[in-house]
Amino acid sequence: MKRLLWIAAVATVAVVVLVVAKQPASAHHSSAPFYDDTKRVEAVGEVVRFVFRNPHSFLFISAPNASGDVVEWEIEMGAAVSMRRTGWTPETIRAGDPIKAVGQPSRAPGTYGMCCAQITRPDGSPIRP
Amino acid sequence: MIMPEGMRLGIVAGVLAFVASPAVVSAQVDDLEPADVPDLVGVWDGGARIRPINGPNQPWTRENFPVLNERGLAFQSIFDEAIAPKYDCVASSSPALQYDPYSMEVVQWPDRVLLRYEKDDVLRTVWLDGREPPVNEYTLQGFSVGHYEDGALIVETTQFLFDITGFDDYNGIPSSQLKHVTERYWREGDELRMTITVEDPLFLRQPASYTTRWVRMPAGYKLGTFGCDAYDARRAVRFMVPRYN
Repeated sequence: MKRLLWIAAVATVAVVVLVVAKQPASAHHSSAPFYDDTKRVEAVGEVVRFVFRNPHSFLFISAPNASGDVVEWEIEMGAAVSMRRTGWTPETIRAGDPIKAVGQPSRAPGTYGMCCAQITRPDGSPIRP
Repeated sequence: MIMPEGMRLGIVAGVLAFVASPAVVSAQVDDLEPADVPDLVGVWDGGARIRPINGPNQPWTRENFPVLNERGLAFQSIFDEAIAPKYDCVASSSPALQYDPYSMEVVQWPDRVLLRYEKDDVLRTVWLDGREPPVNEYTLQGFSVGHYEDGALIVETTQFLFDITGFDDYNGIPSSQLKHVTERYWREGDELRMTITVEDPLFLRQPASYTTRWVRMPAGYKLGTFGCDAYDARRAVRFMVPRYN
């Protein structure tokens, strides 16, 4: 019984973390023309700036690419008007914050866009609005 | 007479509330029983908690996907995502506008209904006073006239501009200046429902239609300014492999 309760608790926490942290691209456009949903890419670095706007918010992260060169990743997020309803503000993420984003990479060669990303602290702990 | 500021504001607010109330609408719309006029006033939520998010398969599913004529198919086959006006903050138009996953505010006045959309700050006016569309005036949102019928608001909109994504901004289907949109709004319990039907002989072989719903936003919710930022709207286009050079 205790084991079942433990599993249920872990599952609940996992769902909450995913709900809180995963930021889909907004319903402004389809992600398929811009991002490859068959691939996953990870960026672990430092927030450069967080642009909290409509129709999309963008999070800019300074982090290494696959070759180890530090580049600026552009993480597409939802519309500010929708994010605000779930508690997000322009101050939820600040320049200099350590951060990790895992999501779909942009399609155009030489670009470092990402969408539909799960955004957490580098240790995997959630970012709470 | 000098009136305190607070009193002046109170009187103005009272008059506005009186004019905008559904009861007054009912009383001032000629030849209608109160039951004919639904109470549509309020801010309505059309977001993700209410209905599936719009996309290539919503609201146009396998069952109701429009039947395009040869011209429509040709335009769709050459469509370039980068040209979509939304990447420059141009608002979507009917029938895509109504399915954007944001809120909508409805105000009923005796001679008009105002439909204000949170997305892109769009404001549509539906005239109830029997006026005719202005001659040769075509706009993105068209010209809307309406009437109440059997507990529903019926809206007819014509005189749209050609729009490269005017039918659907996820499947690259355009609409023409011959687009004719009919919307029927009614209440079903606490929900606002709408069926929208589109005719466009330049691109569609037959009318296409979907039905959707909204629920009330929490009390006190006010639509904010969307303030679409054109630079950020187009930012993601760089991430696409260009179809045309």
